[in-house]
Amino acid sequence: MAAVPLEVSDLRTTLFTRRGEMKAVDGLSLSVGAGETVALVGESGCGKSLSALSIMRLLPDPPARIVGGAVKLNGRDIVPLSEESMLDIRGKEIGMIFQDPMSALNPVATIEKQIAEVVMAHTGLGRFQARARAHELLEQVGIPDAARRLDAYPHQLSGGMCQRVVIAMAIACSPSVLIADEPTTALDVTVQAQVLTLLKRLQAEAGMAMIFITHDLGVVAETADRVVVMYAGRKVEEAAVDDLFEAPLHPYTAGLIGATPVPGAVRAERLADIPGMVPPLNALPPGCAFAPRCPRAMDRCRTERPALTEPRPGRRVACFAAEKGPT
Amino acid sequence: MERFAFLGRFARNRGALAGTVIILLVAFAALSAPVFFPTDPLRMVAQPELWPGEDPAFPLGTDSLGRDMLAMLVHGARATLLIGLFASAVATLIGVSVGAAAGYFGGWIDETAMRAVELFQTIPNLIFVLTIVVILGSTLHNIVIAIGIVSWTPIARMTRAEFLALRDREFVQACRSMGMGDFGIIVREILPNALPPVIVLSSLVVAGAILFESAVSFLGLGDPNIASWGRLVGDGRELIRSSWYICAIPGVAIMVTVLCLNLIGDGLNDALNPKLRDR
Amino acid sequence: MTALLTLNNVHVHFNTAAGLVRAVNGVSLDLGAGETLGLVGESGCGKSTLGKAIMRLVPVSTGEIRVEGTDIAQLQGSALTAMRRKVQMIFQDPYGSLNPRSTVGRSVAQPLVLAGWKPEAVAERVDTLLGWVGLPTDAKQRYPHEFSGGQRQRIGIARALALNPRLIVCDEPVSALDVSVRAQVINLLEDLKAEFGVSYLFISHDLSVVEHIADRVAVMYLGTIVEIGSRDRIWRQPQHPYTKALLAAAPIADPKLARTRTRTVLQGELPSPLEPPAGCPFHSRCPIAQARCKTERPVLRATGDSAQAACHFI
Repeated sequence: MAAVPLEVSDLRTTLFTRRGEMKAVDGLSLSVGAGETVALVGESGCGKSLSALSIMRLLPDPPARIVGGAVKLNGRDIVPLSEESMLDIRGKEIGMIFQDPMSALNPVATIEKQIAEVVMAHTGLGRFQARARAHELLEQVGIPDAARRLDAYPHQLSGGMCQRVVIAMAIACSPSVLIADEPTTALDVTVQAQVLTLLKRLQAEAGMAMIFITHDLGVVAETADRVVVMYAGRKVEEAAVDDLFEAPLHPYTAGLIGATPVPGAVRAERLADIPGMVPPLNALPPGCAFAPRCPRAMDRCRTERPALTEPRPGRRVACFAAEKGPT
Repeated sequence: MERFAFLGRFARNRGALAGTVIILLVAFAALSAPVFFPTDPLRMVAQPELWPGEDPAFPLGTDSLGRDMLAMLVHGARATLLIGLFASAVATLIGVSVGAAAGYFGGWIDETAMRAVELFQTIPNLIFVLTIVVILGSTLHNIVIAIGIVSWTPIARMTRAEFLALRDREFVQACRSMGMGDFGIIVREILPNALPPVIVLSSLVVAGAILFESAVSFLGLGDPNIASWGRLVGDGRELIRSSWYICAIPGVAIMVTVLCLNLIGDGLNDALNPKLRDR
Repeated sequence: MTALLTLNNVHVHFNTAAGLVRAVNGVSLDLGAGETLGLVGESGCGKSTLGKAIMRLVPVSTGEIRVEGTDIAQLQGSALTAMRRKVQMIFQDPYGSLNPRSTVGRSVAQPLVLAGWKPEAVAERVDTLLGWVGLPTDAKQRYPHEFSGGQRQRIGIARALALNPRLIVCDEPVSALDVSVRAQVINLLEDLKAEFGVSYLFISHDLSVVEHIADRVAVMYLGTIVEIGSRDRIWRQPQHPYTKALLAAAPIADPKLARTRTRTVLQGELPSPLEPPAGCPFHSRCPIAQARCKTERPVLRATGDSAQAACHFI
């Protein structure tokens, strides 16, 4: 059997700052199969973006450093690899799409040059062939008039077009894993729909494993097969997308879903809100990080940290209350 | 709380801390000059050209006319620091006013103000100062004002840039939507936010003003009633081959003071620039 | 009933280096007392500019903006100041909308001080306001950076409520907030409306939030309103092809619903407002456009009870 494209186990990333060490990613495990989309969901500061950067080995060091765990890409652990070997892997075996397409592109280089550089670095194609490949990629990501756009600069393209270029660069060498970090957050609704459709199509064509990072549950529902919910650096729940929306186990997941209005559904009088706010990483409560905001918190939650349990195959949750029964 | 954090960030810059200590010493010497050297420092007290250490009564020696170098140095600190501070104050006042108006209102006010800034930047500064002093007379006031007039342009540019960035921020729009007047918005809302980088620049203008004044005095165009450091250097220049210490001692004083002011500017920059916090 | 806010053919044009930008191009609408009107559209459609024009933060080129019958579009001086008490604004960026060097108490007190309140009355009112938005009174002495985004947005709401306005223009008030905090702020806005009968003009690009909070919805495209009607009408029976496309594109936080609905993805992107297409502004992306749309600009026409759309083919 072929190795799982991406398998992360007990990944731990710590921020070393003047105000102390902060466990930004605290023991994250997840695996993504070929053709599968796993959504990484959570609010700002929950560690979802740092998890992605850790997997890509693109952490800003200092202050962030991987202090433990393994990231197996097609069966090989890439955490101990040198930066030099990572250069070879990034773009070739694992691609990444960023939130802000404008800053992900070099403003003073043409589109062709930027795509061709990636292609030439990993395939050994010549300049001429690389240009042809760039053209092909632009057409693949649905950029109209691709031949002319090759010589354009990023500022001459709209945000949606730039994101397509970034996607073209990410898939240029047919990576087996694609990480998309809030790829549609900066885009308008209709353009977001275009980009999501494009990503799904490309994924289906190439059978890529995809990690989709977002805070928008609507986008999760539209794209994901499985969902990992993070809170304060830890995974609090994991489930298939239908199960998660139908019967969330963790009170935080339930809160997030209740706080997101669903158009077309019967109008709720009030949104369910989660009181309080996300605690800062350097001042986490001793027990469960969510306990101070949790409607089901018990005494035990405030002193002891719940471990991940697996009530059903493929369904994981870290909550003492959920062990007793569903929300 | 806020003040404490500010001092903490400032003190983390060792150079700035050392600079502050030295400047405070110089300022203390300047303030206490009448106590330790109550007589006129320009009085002849001993035989001329006593080298430092030659006579314990005059630790820094005497100059070509037999005046006490230490007394002149300490009294000169007064003049030099005062000129630096006042010239910087004049430059900051002009620069902030022009820059704030230009950045906030934009349009023709901005155009006019920026053309004026460019005009002043094209005039060679030292020659402009010398011209004013020669025409209007070498008094302390004229020197201070002349230095202020040539030093305000970078402050105006900096203030304008800050105002441009801040005037469209939402808190300014909120004030406008409440009906607050332009003057209130400029002075009470934007200015406090625009000041940190301007303060850094002003501290550097103090250093620049001291250098200007030294140059003017060295050329013999300073106020004849005031023994600033620049004038001491100028007075000693004819004896530079034999008694070089007469030039060197005030020269070193100028150098050290200007260096310390620059270090303080750096420290203020670290402390006031929020981007560098928490590193 | 006279409407609280009436816009009549409002135009906001900017002269830029690249040419004339028609950010708002002939908008007319009514907003009744105690009503929440949602204003949706993609970035660059002019919805924020329209909000700012109502606040008189950008100059109105032509047209009328009537607040309780008085046209304020060209008012100046003290007459404008008096009007400002009736209309207040909540801003998008909780980090930018408060002066970082002012204490929270000073920020909230600002409209009261400007209105000439006595210091004791101001202090009392600030305590009341902070209480209404769920902040402790000791927040007064603290600075904005000590608060989270959601708390800062509450401070902005307290400031907007200070003078008992009749209308609050909310410019993307929850876009910068996290999901759980966003719900808190939306609920707070709804509670305040129920208690004080204030009206909202709720500007947002997030359709699901607008659907939740608004009584009526106006959809903007390239500076004009293409459809306006009651919330249910817009969601259940959208008439304009742009409204339909916008609704189809909005992600729905329900995977089963998301899979069953038909999804027509709109092609292309918003044309530049520097060179808006002739005729119907939407024709360059419209799936049902015909020759007539390229030359003739459709006007808003009634499509049913209190609903209007601007399309030749409805």
